Amino acid sequence: MDLKNPVEQAVILLRSRLCNPNFIFTLFSDSPDSNYSKLKYIISSSVTESCNNSVLLLGPRGCGKLAVLELVLEDLLREFPDMISVIKLNGLLHSDDNCALKEIARQLCLEHQLAFSKMASSDENSQFLIAMLRECGLAHKTVLFVLDEFDLFAQGKQRLLYSLLDAMQSVTSQAVVIGVSCRLDADQLLEKRVRSRFSHRKLLFLPPSREDLQRLLEHALLLPSGSDLPHEFVANFNSNLLNIFADKKFKDIMDTVFNTDSTFKQVLTFLFSALCHLDLKCGFLSVENFKDALSNIQRQPKLECLKDCSILELYILVCMKRLEVREHETCNFNSIMKEYKSIHDSFQTTDYYARDVCRRAFEHLLQRELISFLDNRGHGHSIEFRPVKLLISWQELYQGLKSYGSCPAILYKLVERETTT
Amino acid sequence: MSSEESPQITRRTTRLSAANSENAVDSSKSCALKPLSVNDLLYGNSPISLEELISSFPGRRGQIIELMSLLGPVNSPMFPTFVYGGSSTGKTSIVLNIFRHLRRPFVYASCITCYSPRILFESILNQLMLHRKSDSNGYSSIKRCDKPSDFVNLLREALSGVIGTLQGNAEKAGSKKAARWPNGKMVYLIFDSLNLVKEWEKSSTILPFLFNLYDILRMPEVGLIFISNNSLDTYYADTGFVEPFPFHFPDYSEDDLRQILLKHQVNKNLYSSFLDVVLRPFCRITRRVNELSTALLPLFKKYCEPLGDLGAVPNEDMKRKLYGHLQRHIAPSLNETFRVSAGLTSGASRSKDNERKGIVKKLEACTSSNELDFHMSTSAKFLLISAFLASRNPATLDASFFDSTGGSDNRKRKRKSSAKSLEQKETAEQELLMKGPGTFPLERLLAIFQCLTSVAEYSPDVEGQGNRATMGDSGYIGSHVLLQLSSLCNANFITKGGSCPLEGSTRYRSNVSEDMVLKVARSVKFPLSKYLYRR
Repeated sequence: MDLKNPVEQAVILLRSRLCNPNFIFTLFSDSPDSNYSKLKYIISSSVTESCNNSVLLLGPRGCGKLAVLELVLEDLLREFPDMISVIKLNGLLHSDDNCALKEIARQLCLEHQLAFSKMASSDENSQFLIAMLRECGLAHKTVLFVLDEFDLFAQGKQRLLYSLLDAMQSVTSQAVVIGVSCRLDADQLLEKRVRSRFSHRKLLFLPPSREDLQRLLEHALLLPSGSDLPHEFVANFNSNLLNIFADKKFKDIMDTVFNTDSTFKQVLTFLFSALCHLDLKCGFLSVENFKDALSNIQRQPKLECLKDCSILELYILVCMKRLEVREHETCNFNSIMKEYKSIHDSFQTTDYYARDVCRRAFEHLLQRELISFLDNRGHGHSIEFRPVKLLISWQELYQGLKSYGSCPAILYKLVERETTT
Repeated sequence: MSSEESPQITRRTTRLSAANSENAVDSSKSCALKPLSVNDLLYGNSPISLEELISSFPGRRGQIIELMSLLGPVNSPMFPTFVYGGSSTGKTSIVLNIFRHLRRPFVYASCITCYSPRILFESILNQLMLHRKSDSNGYSSIKRCDKPSDFVNLLREALSGVIGTLQGNAEKAGSKKAARWPNGKMVYLIFDSLNLVKEWEKSSTILPFLFNLYDILRMPEVGLIFISNNSLDTYYADTGFVEPFPFHFPDYSEDDLRQILLKHQVNKNLYSSFLDVVLRPFCRITRRVNELSTALLPLFKKYCEPLGDLGAVPNEDMKRKLYGHLQRHIAPSLNETFRVSAGLTSGASRSKDNERKGIVKKLEACTSSNELDFHMSTSAKFLLISAFLASRNPATLDASFFDSTGGSDNRKRKRKSSAKSLEQKETAEQELLMKGPGTFPLERLLAIFQCLTSVAEYSPDVEGQGNRATMGDSGYIGSHVLLQLSSLCNANFITKGGSCPLEGSTRYRSNVSEDMVLKVARSVKFPLSKYLYRR
């Protein structure tokens, strides 16, 4: 196990870097007006000045909100060792108030080495919370509440938010509430009484710029010289990588990635995929790996689905498209069969199958979610009468037919004709 | 995974005696079932090599190699992966066999068997905490868990436990036992059939929760793999979720299908010549392996009929002869691709009858025979016919169809069809196509039923003389009729439509096609066409 191939070791090292968001964001924590420094300033000032505060971190998914927060918390726990305790809640898990109170009590007990009873009722938990806040306030210890998926806490009656923010209004408590959300209007979701207790500090996290992306590439993929990999290998690997970065083809690939979706998550997925394509025998990355990675992340699921369909299923889709073009408001399986028969009569196709077979192909299409029922209420009706709609557009259908390979020519003609009429 | 040994009770003991002898059985059982260990998180008893893996899945070499590169070398963290593709494309079996080849420990939960969040969570926790449901713990899970928050806490504990054991194993490497131990310090969680979660009640919170599980846990020693029939874009969520890494399994091409179907055949040459003829037309209908193999089975039997020796290798002459014999059977059998035979014995006897009578099925004829291939009691048949008539005919015409003489005088009145009436007929037909069968209240159904059965009594050629006695007097509707109605509802021949808001009684709707009702009416010799309203 110890005598691993250096290439394998390097791959493992790089993969663990890419899967660890904390590593990536240490890069962006140095400049003074970055979100990292602003957040650190807010929290550390409320710790040192013993006051209460609240802040919202907003931004699209995959832009590093939680990662930056983790970095800030790590640093603060090192700077002020006994003065901070952190409670982490998640809207997906704890949006129910009782659940949330139980979790808060559990984490507080864990941190302060108290015994936690699972049988405690929510009243007892909330009294415990208030008592702990008071005690921590008297001991000059700040409690940080991290509320992930903050918009999910703002559903319903917002009792938890109100009790937290209300508890912060008293003089004896020292708490900071940090909300993290991907909805940019998360503070508009708050009730009036909650919003009035909330300090409207918001930090906006944005996807990186092109220059930041370049720095990220180098930071993530260049092997460190201090690791226990052989020096020569590290030097060769890094120089090869720098050559790739200077290559024009690579720059085009990076431009494509940046233009489609430039969030950190997407870029990291791209780098991860490129790393997976690394040829272990050759040992170095190449531009081909990055090209393969680009096609991996740029998927066209509906097109793939269409290529998986059988020819009968394509017929059914084309019939539905023709009905749609003729502006029938709704179509169901019976009207599709009528259209299918009329196509067969006018063009004498070889693909005319019995109704049962067509119905099963219709069900396959429903399973693949290329078509769906218009409403979910009609469970009493049999499948032949429920209205259905197409979930793909004409362009996608046409592209799918073109890339199908053995598609009968009649289908092209039928789809093309409808566009001109 | 772990082998379940059946308890030592024979079938003939009654429950009481088993309870009494529990103590005696218990001690023998407890030494029969050994406790689970981390080694049981592996798949399959013996490892397989890469060549075996690739050769057992024809056409999937690219996917196997790519998936293995996604998993990476031992102890390398991975992004959560989302494997998707059509059904019966081999996703589950390939993933499990890759783990068998790599000998890495994993926990598998399928959303088909775990049909609610609680069962899903408890199944995963049971496997991680190496808990087996048995008689001694009353077949209960190790912990009760139905909320995601509890699940995350317990999962963290369980995962740390398993990873600790694996790390201990890794340090003891080099001993003879290490050959049977799992590789590495990582544990993988596999969620299968994830598309079924979309139909759960709490799917709007459970799905984002599962996709965000990796970020919530923040444990790099855990790998997540999701398997689903549909791609990620069919998973709708309000505020989105963290998207896992997508991995597509395309459907098999024709060549791959040929290799797969040939794999387990005894006489590969014969079957290959069969596939030359048959595979392409069938692939135009469906490319799923399971459907193709069931559809091709009876056709292959027919193909082999003229051959005396099934082990023969056909030459060109024989191939042409066999093809000639098979040709006229291909087209009708295409139209029966998805038909499930009603039973092997009845199918075999019927085919022999057909051969004796020399029936050759025509291309345009109805795919099935003119008889019902299941049994229904006479009153159920009449109930079905009444339901069909009630759905098809408008209620206002009931009086003219079912007057007190028990017959109908539905003479087709020849009227000159003007353009407007033709147009009206067309729109009415279109409406029938779109709207479907109408609903009717229970009273109307019973009234029609009564009328029909009184007609049937008076007609002399009703099947089975004994039926007259069971119909009773013309005014009597027994409770057996209502029971028949509920069993017809269970069989989905009649469904409950919406209820009228004023009256509040439920309305029913008949679901059967006209062909089937014709068959039923023919079997009781009922003149259906006289009662059917034709616009």
